[in-house]
Amino acid sequence: MARPHIEPFCDRDVSFKNMNLSGFGNGMRFKMLSLDTDSGACSITVQFEGGYKQNPGFSWSEMEMIVIDGELQYGDHTIRKGHYLFVPAGYAMPAISSEQGALVLMMYNTGEPSHVESDEHHALAQVGLHHDIDSYMDIPWAMGNVVKPSVAAGCLIKLLNYNPISHAMTFLYCMTPAFYQDNISYHDCAEESYHLWGTSWMMQFGDVPTGGYFWRPAYINHGAFASELGCIALGRVDSKLFNHFHYNPWSTPVQNQDRSAARLYQRDPLLYKWMVSHSHNHPHGPEDFEQNVHRHDQDKVSDGKTHSHWHGHDHDHHHD
Amino acid sequence: MSFKNLFIKHERSAEEEAWLQEEIAEQEDRFSQIENTMEDLKPIRAQWYREFFDRISTTGFNVDGDEKMVIPRDQLPVQPDGNEDRVVWKHGVDGE
Repeated sequence: MARPHIEPFCDRDVSFKNMNLSGFGNGMRFKMLSLDTDSGACSITVQFEGGYKQNPGFSWSEMEMIVIDGELQYGDHTIRKGHYLFVPAGYAMPAISSEQGALVLMMYNTGEPSHVESDEHHALAQVGLHHDIDSYMDIPWAMGNVVKPSVAAGCLIKLLNYNPISHAMTFLYCMTPAFYQDNISYHDCAEESYHLWGTSWMMQFGDVPTGGYFWRPAYINHGAFASELGCIALGRVDSKLFNHFHYNPWSTPVQNQDRSAARLYQRDPLLYKWMVSHSHNHPHGPEDFEQNVHRHDQDKVSDGKTHSHWHGHDHDHHHD
Repeated sequence: MSFKNLFIKHERSAEEEAWLQEEIAEQEDRFSQIENTMEDLKPIRAQWYREFFDRISTTGFNVDGDEKMVIPRDQLPVQPDGNEDRVVWKHGVDGE
């Protein structure tokens, strides 16, 4: 049943295990951070041993990765500490190797870790979504007020990946030394964080040190927040982030969810009424016509034997 | 929970299924340890709550960014009777 609430957890408290799944070869060790018990999606800290080699290939799952320490050869590129990659499902990665070893955070978003050797992308791969960047050197820090209400000054972010449909985000964030924020927060989305360096503190869970981690389902209280000496972390949310701030440490997830719904009713009463009046069992939500509309370019594809004239249906016709 | 991105359907192999079951069992243990640790933290957390209430009723509560509002002491919440201090919720709203 999805990923459970794992908070707080520190990967420094457990040992690496050998990754024995086929395709990954020898010299890949991992620590499990959190795991979706249905899909197998998971986040893992990975130690590639010096001399590790992986042949080109793709994963059935979308995957994100950031280098925590060390150096990896990714095809023709040498990637180092802070380098982030977004790899769509079915995207054939080049050969990967590490001469001296590397510590990496890997996140398989939609299925268990897999590596199918191939130097060609899978036919269904959304190849254009692949991107990578040196997140430490090539992106400036921005104020953390990307959403309103926002975090206090002193919490800065670098956006690494954004899903325009779900509004899911992957980002680096840091807290400056002596950062504090005196409120309790919850979100309508799940949230994940891995501390690359430094320690922060939350009133419910205490200190989250280097290697500290959480996967937190929606509507769970967290905060107040502080960091004495500062920290830098990789954060993710699986849909739109909204900060619901309050100061009641005893509210439950169901009460928090009710409050979110009440706020939606107060802000968008017409939409709320429509949603409630159409409260059938639609686990994937109502239809978005923009995602399903029949478009001209869908008819332009030819298999070399037949063709169409952008009609939405087939019929007999002749050509001179 | 899903990031709503692409997954390419395939058959999960017996090896992958065995790996998954082993990891699920270990995650159960990990979750239990977290629950116990957070239970042990209760007395310290109670002190942290008191300090939080003291700060938001004197220096203020962060409403939005650095905008702060002092909460009068008579507006501070009281722990409801029978409501234990709980911070770990295995599956959030689905586990309540």
